[in-house]
Order: sequence, then C-alpha cells, then structure tokens
Amino acid sequence: MIEFFTILCANAFRMGTPLVLGAVGEVYSERTGVMMTAIEGVFLAGAFGGLVGAFLTQSLAMGFLIAILSGVIVASAHGWICVYLKQNQVVTGTAIAILVAGLCAFLFRVIFGVPLMPITVTPLRELPIPLLSSIPFFGRVLFSQNLLTYFMFVFVPLAYFVLYRTSLGLVIRSAGENPEAVEVAGIKVNRVRFFTVLFAGGVSGLAGAFYSIGFLGMYTDTIIGGRGWIAFAICFLGNWNPKGAFIGGIVFGFAEAFAISMQVGAGSAIFPNELLIALPYILTIVLAITRKAYNVPAKLGVSYGIEK
Amino acid sequence: MKTKTIDFLLFNIGAIFVGLAAAGIMLTFLGENPIRVYSLLFTSVVRDRFTVANIFVRATPLIFTALAFAVTFKAKLFNIGAQGQFFIGCLVAVGFSLYLEGFLVPGVGLVIVFFLTLLGGGIYGGLIGYAKARFNANEFLVSMMSTYVALGVSDYLLRTLLMEARGEYPQTDTIQFYRLPIFVGGTRLHIGFIIAVVIAILVWVMMYKTTLGYRIRTVGQNREAAHLAGINTKRIFVIVFFISGALASLAGFTEVNGASYMLMRGFNSTIGAMGIGIAVLANANPISIIFVAVLFGTLIEGGMILMQVAGIPHSIIPLMQGFVMVSVLISYYVRTRVATLREKHRLQKAVGI
Repeated sequence: MIEFFTILCANAFRMGTPLVLGAVGEVYSERTGVMMTAIEGVFLAGAFGGLVGAFLTQSLAMGFLIAILSGVIVASAHGWICVYLKQNQVVTGTAIAILVAGLCAFLFRVIFGVPLMPITVTPLRELPIPLLSSIPFFGRVLFSQNLLTYFMFVFVPLAYFVLYRTSLGLVIRSAGENPEAVEVAGIKVNRVRFFTVLFAGGVSGLAGAFYSIGFLGMYTDTIIGGRGWIAFAICFLGNWNPKGAFIGGIVFGFAEAFAISMQVGAGSAIFPNELLIALPYILTIVLAITRKAYNVPAKLGVSYGIEK
Repeated sequence: MKTKTIDFLLFNIGAIFVGLAAAGIMLTFLGENPIRVYSLLFTSVVRDRFTVANIFVRATPLIFTALAFAVTFKAKLFNIGAQGQFFIGCLVAVGFSLYLEGFLVPGVGLVIVFFLTLLGGGIYGGLIGYAKARFNANEFLVSMMSTYVALGVSDYLLRTLLMEARGEYPQTDTIQFYRLPIFVGGTRLHIGFIIAVVIAILVWVMMYKTTLGYRIRTVGQNREAAHLAGINTKRIFVIVFFISGALASLAGFTEVNGASYMLMRGFNSTIGAMGIGIAVLANANPISIIFVAVLFGTLIEGGMILMQVAGIPHSIIPLMQGFVMVSVLISYYVRTRVATLREKHRLQKAVGI
C-alpha cells in the first residue's frame, strides 16, 4: 500500500510537471492581460518540435531547445494578432489551435513521409539525486525525477520571485492591471504584453515536449488531448499566482497519475476506464464551480491601444 | 450596398484567398504544385451531382455548431463546448431512434427524436449557463471541459448500453426506420440541410427581431447596463446556453439520422472547433454562417477527394481551415484600420483641412 502510494505521489509530480510549467507561463501571460488561449496549440507544437528535433539530431537537449522555439513561434502569432492587431483572444486562440493541429500533422508527413516503423526516441531518463533520493518516501517522490521536474522545482520559486519581488514583475502585473500607468511610466504596454506571451509560449512549448520526448518517446496527433486546456484552467483555478499554479498542477498530476495506476491495475474493473480518463476534466469543472476567483487581472482579455 | 457591407465581403473573400494561398505554399513542401492541387480540388467537387450534394451534407452539422457558438458570442459568452453538446445530441438521437425503432411512423418518430435531442443538448448546455449564473463559474473553462466529459460518456455508452448487437466494435446498430428523407435523388443530401437553413433563419429572427434577442445582444454589449435596465442577466446566461447546446446537439441529430444512421467512436471529432471558425468568419451572423459553412463543406469534401485521388494527406483540411481563419482575423484588423482612415479622411475634408 505504501509502495503504491509512493509511486502514485512520484507520478503526480512527474505528470504534474508540464501542467505546472504551462500554467505558470499562462499566469505570466494573463497577468499582462493576454489570455494565451492558443496554449493547446503551443503544447502540441512543443511536443511536435521536441520529437522532430530530438529525432533528427539524436539529442534530447536539442529536442527541448527546438520545442521551446516552436512554442515561441506559435505564441508570437497569437501575441501579434491579440496584442498588436487587437483581435478577440478566445477566437484567435481557437483559430491558432486548429492551424497548429493541421500544421503538425502535415509537417510530420512532410518530414517523415509515411513511416513504416514508428518514429521513436529514448525519452528523458529519471535522474536520482545522490543522497537525497535515499530519504524514505520523499526521496522517491521528489528526488528521483527527470531533469524537467527538477527544472520545474527551480522554475516556480524563481517565477514567483520575479513576478512579486522585482521591478520587471511589477511592470508585468501592471500591464494587466493599469496599462495607462505603465504607458505613462514610459514603458510600451504592448511590448511588455507581446514579450511576456513569447515567454509563456517558450515555457509551454517546453511543457508540451514533456509528453513527446520527456515521457512517451513518440508523437501522435492527439498526444496533448486537452492538457493545454487543463494548464489554462489551472492558471484560473490557481488565482493567477505561480504558487497556485504549482499546487493546481500537482493536484491535476495526481489525478492523472491515479487514472494511470487504476488503468494498469485492477481499478478498471471497479471504475469504467472512460471515467478515469475524464477525471481531470471533471475535477476542473468542480473546481471552477466551487472556487472563488479573486486576483483576476483587471484588463484580462482587453486589448490596449490608443486610437490614432 | 453600403460601403461597410462591400468592405466586409471584399476583405473576407480576400482573406480566404490569402489563407488558401498560405496552405498552398505548404503543399510545395510535399513536392506538389499548389495550383494543380487547387484546380483539382475545385474541379473535383463539382464533378458530379453526388459530390456537389455531399458538400451540403458536410455543411449541415457545421451550420449548427457555428450557430451554437454565434448565439453565445453575441452575449459575449463563450461556448467552446459545442463538440460535447454534439456528442450528447448524437447519443440521444441514436439512443432513442434505436429504442423507438418500429414503434412509430417514421415521420412522427423523427419529430420526437428531434425534440428529445434538442432537449438533451439544451439541458447539457444549459447546465453550463447555470454554473455561470449561480456560481459565477468561468463558462469558457466549464464548456471546454464538458466536451471531454461528454466524450467519456459517449465512449462508455458505445461499449456498453448502445453497443451493436453483434458486440464486436464500439459502435451502435444501424437505424432502419427513422432516417431523414433524401430530397435530391441519387445523392446523400437529406432534409437536414433544409432544417439547418430554416433554423439559421429562425436564429437570425430571434436575434434581431425579438425581445429575447435584443436582451441577449444587450447583455453582450454591456452587462452592467443590461442589468441596470432590468434585464435578468443570469436568466439570459442560462437561456443562451440552453439555445446554444440545443443548436449544437441538432448537429448530432442530422448527422446520426441523416448521414451515418449510426454512431461510432471518434465520430466527427472536429466539428465543434470548425463551428467556432465558421462563426468567426461569418462575424456571428446566422445568415452568413450558412454560406461559410458551405465553403468549409467544400474544403472538407475537396480535401477528402484529394486524399483519394492525389494522395494529399488528410491534414490539408485543418491546414486550409486554420490558415483561412487566421488570415480572416488579420483582415478584420486591416478592415477596421481602412474604415478608420476613410472616416478620418472624410472628416478632414468636411472641416476643410
């Protein structure tokens, strides 16, 4: 039982990693007032770019780099249309998500043709930290993870610090709360928004690559399957705070880990498989209904611009 | 015609061309000549009456899902869950069609299934509106997630309650009795298309000629003002989502009872997203939606033929649609910019600068 629970918790952190990364990226973007609704597409682009990069260069590091780049490219399209062309953010995100889904499927065909063998890479290995990983329970849960999870452990406090304790963070938050004040201070609001979206895109691209080269070692068109939207939801449910995003991401990671362990174990005899798959989505609905949203950036979803 | 209308048409058609051209450039990566591919696409969709009719068959559910998004969009709400409401509609339609099989005259049975479907999807959608009204839940998130829940329900029912009698695949038996009549001989074009067009017109009437529509649009334009004017905004949330869900579920009715006569796993899994694209392209106008849905139907049918005769991958369809949608969004910006400049010019002239 303890063994089962330990594995479950370890998997919660592993499966939660991309969700936390994506959600923190989203928090940054939404703090400036831009909902990165293209996040599902950004995740997919990251997963795709990651696999292509890793497969062609035979290096996971290159894979992650290209994943970040793919995320930034998709986010730049979203940012340009939302920030500078001032189009509706929800609509733009949906359009870009469709386009990216088409592009990834199409480019996969262009690059690999119709492969006879599945295109696979060796996914990221677990890297137990010496000493720390031998602590009972916590060693297995926290310190026997892969690099991406360790990165997440460092990234979240850093993101929190930058957002709340630095002048850069103040500018980012103000761009979504009181853009006029930012403009008066001589900082271009739209530039802040655009570059923050790019940052969010890079982080989310990295998160997407977790699914292809950090976990499965392969790519399918349905590999993300709504996880981008979950990260998007976590940003809301975590009240636009990296801390909340972290907790939310781990909770959802736990739900996913639970579903996986039930599927492989005897659980599918008790619960229908479909219920387990739908668990994170049901959880989102329940949380969206029960949690009070505060901290909503005042100008969320509102374009900024002076009519010329 | 007013300048505004001309602008709208001109820019939209231009944007569609630009989007298709962008997808065409992608085709060159496959070593294909885009001009050849596109001429093949547009000649093959009109090669015979069966194919032409198929365009309208494919447009039918898209009209419904686009209307579903448009109705909420007018109230500045987002129903991203048309896909899920469509699944619910499919389940209700196929479930009752099979359950009532043989009991009723086809005409009566179809009408009953129609209303049950409408009710089922309406309630499923209305719950989102209720969550929004009662708990102030973010409708965007809830509707998005409700799709995955509906998918789970659908997959579950398809391998248990609704599974075919043979018990081999996760799909239902074939509906024998309650099939929507085909009105163009020798094709698959069923009266679902006519229903879709009529309902689109009805939605237009509701939106622009009734008090309810006026209230919905007022809520969309300024929620505070609507509330102060005595409009029960919370009730509008529920009503709008009920209508939206009902519209999306009717796509399930026409697909199940008109086109496939059965339900299987992974049935039409992208029409919700396409509906959003169509609604945006049509500027959420119910009448324009009909035409844009036919355009998307052409792209889908053409893409399918391209796959069969020229080996072009299936992903060309979302690729074309995605590029068209993005270029339309960009064109909106250009259009408002042009209109502003024109207005500025006019004003400057008027004051004699």
